[in-house]
Amino acid sequence: MLEVRSIDVAYDKVQVLFNLSLRVERGSILCLVGRNGAGKTTTLKSIMGLIPVRQGSITFDQTVLTTLPPHEIPGSGIAYVPQGRRLFAELSVKQNMDIGLMASGAGQDTYSSVLEMFPKLQERLNQRAETLSGGEQQMLAMARALCMKPEVILLDEPTEGLQPSMIELIRTVILQLKSQNVAIVLVEQHVDTVIAMADSVAFIVHGRNPETISGNELRDNPDRVERYLGVE
Amino acid sequence: MEFGPYLFIASLEGAITAAVLALTAVGLSIVFGIMRVVNVAHGEFYMLGAVFAWWITNLIGGHPAVGFVAAVIITPVLVGVLAVIADHLILRKIDYDPERTIVATIGLLYVIQQTTLMTFGPEARPVEAPFNKRIALPWIEYGEQGLALIWPWGLSTTTYKLAVIVAAIFILLMLWLLMTRTRIGLIMRATQLDREMATAHGIPVNKVYALVFGLGAGLAALGAVLIVPIQQAHYLMGADPLLLSFIVVIIGGLGSVVGTIVAALFIGLSDGIISVFFTPTLAKIIATLAVAFVLVFRPQGMFGKPE
Ligand SMILES: Nc1ncnc2c1ncn2[C@@H]1O[C@H](COP(=O)(O)OP(=O)(O)OP(=O)(O)O)[C@@H](O)[C@H]1O
Ligand SMILES: [Mg+2]
Repeated sequence: MLEVRSIDVAYDKVQVLFNLSLRVERGSILCLVGRNGAGKTTTLKSIMGLIPVRQGSITFDQTVLTTLPPHEIPGSGIAYVPQGRRLFAELSVKQNMDIGLMASGAGQDTYSSVLEMFPKLQERLNQRAETLSGGEQQMLAMARALCMKPEVILLDEPTEGLQPSMIELIRTVILQLKSQNVAIVLVEQHVDTVIAMADSVAFIVHGRNPETISGNELRDNPDRVERYLGVE
Repeated sequence: MEFGPYLFIASLEGAITAAVLALTAVGLSIVFGIMRVVNVAHGEFYMLGAVFAWWITNLIGGHPAVGFVAAVIITPVLVGVLAVIADHLILRKIDYDPERTIVATIGLLYVIQQTTLMTFGPEARPVEAPFNKRIALPWIEYGEQGLALIWPWGLSTTTYKLAVIVAAIFILLMLWLLMTRTRIGLIMRATQLDREMATAHGIPVNKVYALVFGLGAGLAALGAVLIVPIQQAHYLMGADPLLLSFIVVIIGGLGSVVGTIVAALFIGLSDGIISVFFTPTLAKIIATLAVAFVLVFRPQGMFGKPE
């Protein structure tokens, strides 16, 4: 279980997260929902150790992530698919995946099984990442993370700007991961995706988490998402 | 000597400058490209390379080749280790902040220079070349019996000078293989492209930086070891290679290794040719003008990408 306990996070002097707590179990999907600038990306970066946490702690099973050097966090089983993909632009598809494989020490079987999920990438192994289409880039960002054989995966708006069939593919992959007992943290703006997939939903408002509800509660009351996302 | 053979010998001298400059400038270029650090002390690592080469060859004695081979192997490693220590003690402490690293490496420049002066003294130190056979070079001339090979007086070079060019090409080839064909090269390139994402994929960015800083310094030192049998070692010799490396890196395009090598060839050759026909000072003036033109008309350099 990944657990975020009352963290405060700031960029230099500007505090962005306030006493924020979250938890997600293996084999379940936690959706983070909030407006632009609420602090969703900052939350995921804090889990990855990319921004120092000032107060509180983050743990994964027995491991206290907040005391690890940032580059050791992926090795403890946590993979990150960042907002805007952030591929290694000048490296090829295969090299981007190799970086993921190195992080986990996973071998050829992992590589092959990831490519099976994204057959489109198979045809483009030697193409530079920056020359892929938007949808292919998102697949590669997912593939690179999956090469790390994660026990927890953090996905920051993986369906942003994609056409419906591509969104469908990403959703299928996420459900597949869930069935493999991976813990999933999903930042998502599409209400229908949240309703369809979430086991629990954490609302984030100005860097705080006023409430977390279960997926079923949400499905009984779909307009609650709108309340947290909609214009004031 | 006539113009043709004269130009030929000038180009050969230029090629030696170019070869050593390429090694030195590529060191500066990878440090800037991967770490975003402008290393003002780069010329001092070059100087250390030359001085250590003298020190090691003297220490070992015997046939010049024995000492020289030892210097070629030990010097870059020694200078690289010193650079890694400087990275730990200085650059890491200021978190590789672009502006503060400039000031810090200016300080490092003087620390290295003055320490060398105090330890090894102000004299210029010669190093004997491991082999140094003079070879006369032929020239083609149209004479009474048609085209003929002649050996003009003064048209000659040494086996060692040719070996410097071959060695530089070999080292650059090895570096290219390292960057494109190995795991560590892949890690270095990923770090260059996106430091934060590299961290998020388990890459220990600080270790990569230390390695790159050591590698950059080692390349400068290696260039100096190669040139020292031709030029002598001296504690102030780091200034020119620093200036020329900056010129080359800017003309070639910041962070572009290929651009750096092409620009080193261009600047090295023109430096050799202009120095022989006119004066070394004019060569430096023209190189500096070339930088000014590049900055005005193509600020990203010949091979750089626009920001
Ligand atoms: N590097 C940074 N330096 C300073 N402030 C930052 C930095 N990154 C983010 N912020 C600020 O932190 C706040 C939260 O940003 P964050 O990116 O976490 O929001 P988000 O919920 O992911 O928004 P979006 O839905 O637009 O992606 C914003 O006010 C943003 O301006
Ligand atoms: Mg965001």
